[in-house]
Amino acid sequence: MGPSIYKNKKRIWVFLAPAFAFMVVYLYYPFIQNILNSFMHIKYMGTAGGEWNSPWYKNYLTLLSDPKMRIALKNTGITIAATIIGQVGIALVLSLLVSNIERGSGFFRTVFFFPIVVSATALGLLFNLVFLYDKGMVNQFLQFAGVLNREANQLIDWKSKYPMFTMLTPVIWQYVGFYFVILLTGLAGIPEDLYEAATIDGAGRWQRVRYISLPLLRGSISTCVILAVTGALKVFDLPWTMFVNGMSNTWLTGTYMYSKVYSDVDYASAIAVVIVVIGVILSAAVNRIFGKTEDFQ
Amino acid sequence: MKKKKIRFGMIVVYLILILWALTTIFPLCWSVMNSFKNKKVIYNNSFALPFGEAFSLENYRNIFANYNILSAYRNSFIISGSVAAVVILLAGMAAYILCRYEFRGKTLLNLLLYAGMMFPIYSTIIPVMRMQAKWGIVNSSSVGANLLSVILPQIAGNMSFAIIVLRGYIRTLPVELEESAFLEGCSMFQTYFRVVFPLCKPSMVTVGIFSFLWSYNDLFTQMFFLRTKENWAITILLNNIASKEGVNYGALFASVTLIVIPVLIVYMFLNRYIIQGMTVGAVKG
Amino acid sequence: MRKNHVITLAGIMAVSAVLAAPAFAEGVTINVTTTYAGEDSNAQNFKDSVAAWEEESGNKVEDSSATSDESFKSRIITDFEAGSEPDVLFFFNGVDSNQFVEQGKVVSIDEIREVYPEYASNMKDEMLGASPVDGVNYSVPVNGYWEGLFVNKDVLNAAGVEVPTIDTTWEDFLKDCEAIKEAGYTPIAASLQEIPHYWFEYAIYNFQSPQTHNTVPESVDDEYGQAWVNGLNDIKALYEAGYFPENTLTATDAETFQLFTTDKAAFLIDGSWKIGGITEAVDDIDHFAVVNVPGKGDRKTTDEIGGLSMGYYITRKAWEDEEKRDAAVSFVSFMTSDEVVSKFSGVSATALKDGASPDVSEFNALQLSALDYTASITGICPAVQDNLSAAAREPIFADMASIVKGDVDAADAVAAVLEANAE
Repeated sequence: MGPSIYKNKKRIWVFLAPAFAFMVVYLYYPFIQNILNSFMHIKYMGTAGGEWNSPWYKNYLTLLSDPKMRIALKNTGITIAATIIGQVGIALVLSLLVSNIERGSGFFRTVFFFPIVVSATALGLLFNLVFLYDKGMVNQFLQFAGVLNREANQLIDWKSKYPMFTMLTPVIWQYVGFYFVILLTGLAGIPEDLYEAATIDGAGRWQRVRYISLPLLRGSISTCVILAVTGALKVFDLPWTMFVNGMSNTWLTGTYMYSKVYSDVDYASAIAVVIVVIGVILSAAVNRIFGKTEDFQ
Repeated sequence: MKKKKIRFGMIVVYLILILWALTTIFPLCWSVMNSFKNKKVIYNNSFALPFGEAFSLENYRNIFANYNILSAYRNSFIISGSVAAVVILLAGMAAYILCRYEFRGKTLLNLLLYAGMMFPIYSTIIPVMRMQAKWGIVNSSSVGANLLSVILPQIAGNMSFAIIVLRGYIRTLPVELEESAFLEGCSMFQTYFRVVFPLCKPSMVTVGIFSFLWSYNDLFTQMFFLRTKENWAITILLNNIASKEGVNYGALFASVTLIVIPVLIVYMFLNRYIIQGMTVGAVKG
Repeated sequence: MRKNHVITLAGIMAVSAVLAAPAFAEGVTINVTTTYAGEDSNAQNFKDSVAAWEEESGNKVEDSSATSDESFKSRIITDFEAGSEPDVLFFFNGVDSNQFVEQGKVVSIDEIREVYPEYASNMKDEMLGASPVDGVNYSVPVNGYWEGLFVNKDVLNAAGVEVPTIDTTWEDFLKDCEAIKEAGYTPIAASLQEIPHYWFEYAIYNFQSPQTHNTVPESVDDEYGQAWVNGLNDIKALYEAGYFPENTLTATDAETFQLFTTDKAAFLIDGSWKIGGITEAVDDIDHFAVVNVPGKGDRKTTDEIGGLSMGYYITRKAWEDEEKRDAAVSFVSFMTSDEVVSKFSGVSATALKDGASPDVSEFNALQLSALDYTASITGICPAVQDNLSAAAREPIFADMASIVKGDVDAADAVAAVLEANAE
């Protein structure tokens, strides 16, 4: 690559400044306040910090020994793995399939997007009904299929027996469409002459996917993985609607923070700081991993 | 022989796609369906079709009779349209630099970028509110100022995501075109706006769609800054209708439907631009 | 084009900011924030009353009401901090108001009466809802709430159980629950996971009296602390006896409420605001009633939870604004007049000296039973949890599942609450 054209860096700040100015004013400056808040004692959300905690890092000390935080971190780890494999994986398969069909791709592109636009409240309600204890969709189906005894009205309490499964299924399902759109956009950016040349060289459909689509999608896949990791650390709305107050030990970092936002402002601030730190480290790692492999192509 | 094999493969492909499509269509249909039932019918059986006696326009009648829904749609489109436009413009420029240029402080900017995506709205809203109250755009008597007080924080909130997605996309673009523009004597500005920007159209549209969507659905920020009825955007208006002690399911689904439909129209309209560059080679067998 | 958009907006903003100030030469515009919004049963009443006042006074109301929840509360608190508070505020009079009361951002009723001696003179002073900060009255209430035992008579009939009366004791109640369970129904509809609040109040009330209930214990070991521990253990006993729904630790409140409205559960403790929800959810409201929660110990069955938890505040900002002062006082006086309060109160309590006179001709069976219920009350006391901050409530309310399962000892949970409350 010839980066000589990118040598003249005198004016790059003109391009960088507006975007980062917005973020400095509306994100970084407020978040610095949040960091300060995490060392203070704050009575209500909305009030300015009172006095400093003693010791000032008290909240972080509490976090270390907080069993709920430990559960939240563990579950969030599981969620990150599940979202990378589940969300990004399924989205990748779907986007490759859709880009390889002749008819109906417009239809699939549209309907796969549906779940993202429906609010978490409505989806939470829906999935509460799907996994409902008595007369829920899944339990009714299992009774119908004979897995559960219908006569005795045998039921499974999904939220207490299989809480993580019950919580992660909707979360993963909802955002597949999001990564699907990003990956499809990435596929759209691959120059068609590459495929044509490969076809002339006798490459089959699978080979074109393997040697052209996948390597060239790396940038988009890396983007998706970063978004999936940060998304898993933040997610709270849908899990919260279905599993209020971390029932059945389903705390996630996002829901745990949310549960403290109004009741324990400074502690919530400390959790937010932890979430941000973990997110930044993981994102940087993902970017590095994908950035490196790219150089080898 | 070979043809048959391909056909069989295609059937499997369609089968998978249709199965997934069923799962994604169902919730939306379910919501729309329930929006035409009154509360009692939903309580008793949310999966029944709204025909005959079960059919009711009560939820919609209630919304349209008592609220100025058109003004709320207009406010929503002003807010979310401005957010999407500004985000596309500013994020694209920043993404270009972050992708192509090596410079001191780049690692730091990258880290800040990831951090910008992680900040929970709950930890930034209070300082933002104080700041904007000082500027006089919160609780102002002017609708424009109030809308602006939602637009500005939302632009910032979507910026990181947009830069990251656009950076990933620009990374896949071949540098040759930029090189030849450079050789022809184009400046950084010209190279970006004449070469890179048009090539990024699909990704810009994607970013625009999601920025629009998130701004549109961002109830929390709207709740803090849009207080009086003439300032309401559609999400907060419908939330006000749907929120009661407990949940009024009928109103909830009617509001879900009314919120979703314009977004889907925008998506379907813009979706064509994403696919414009879609490779013919990949489509043709 | 895109840039233009923003610039246009900024332009609109600047121009209208200049124009806005002298726009209303006649009458005054006051900013009012209340919780009468969404589908609050009084939202329409509020709208109508505001229109009536505007008509009468020639002033205007800028209404920024919203449904009350935690983020609404923090918006109000931030508004006070940032100096963008409304002129008149209808808000909670418990700990949620401490912040702005401490900072002197609202005007006390005594101070208002120095200038307007008739202010809130139609109300009983001792019922106005004094601030927990200094015991001074700042707000004028409209209508109150009570908590009671809603019953599904169909389920009771099917189980051969009589509707509880003022003579029913806790012992009787337990026997009834057993009979209902034997008959294959769920005795009590409650989601201990999501909303254990009502059961907490009444269970600890059983070990107290109307005079003592509203006191936060000093320690687990004192009389009040022991009442809390005993109450929690009673809830645990109900759970162990299987009187709550099988999935009470994972079900949502909406789910368990549905058990009650679809004839699967017999009892529900909830607030006066639930009457509308029940009416809308069921076909035949005649089969539902609200009665006294059976009591034990010092608490008589007719001793209930209830009070006036919200009221109208006039902010210091409006008070010191010569133009707005009159309008704000006139607005609050109008909204808390006997006539308007009667319209708002329905079956709930008021602080009116002459009592409310709601129009009973259109009441349904449940509302009528609510009138009987409120008439039977001999002692009333506000919910003690309103004296606790949200953080302090958490060890009990967010962790009720662990308490009833025995993972957390009730005494430890109470101690954690008291510790958080002391902070």
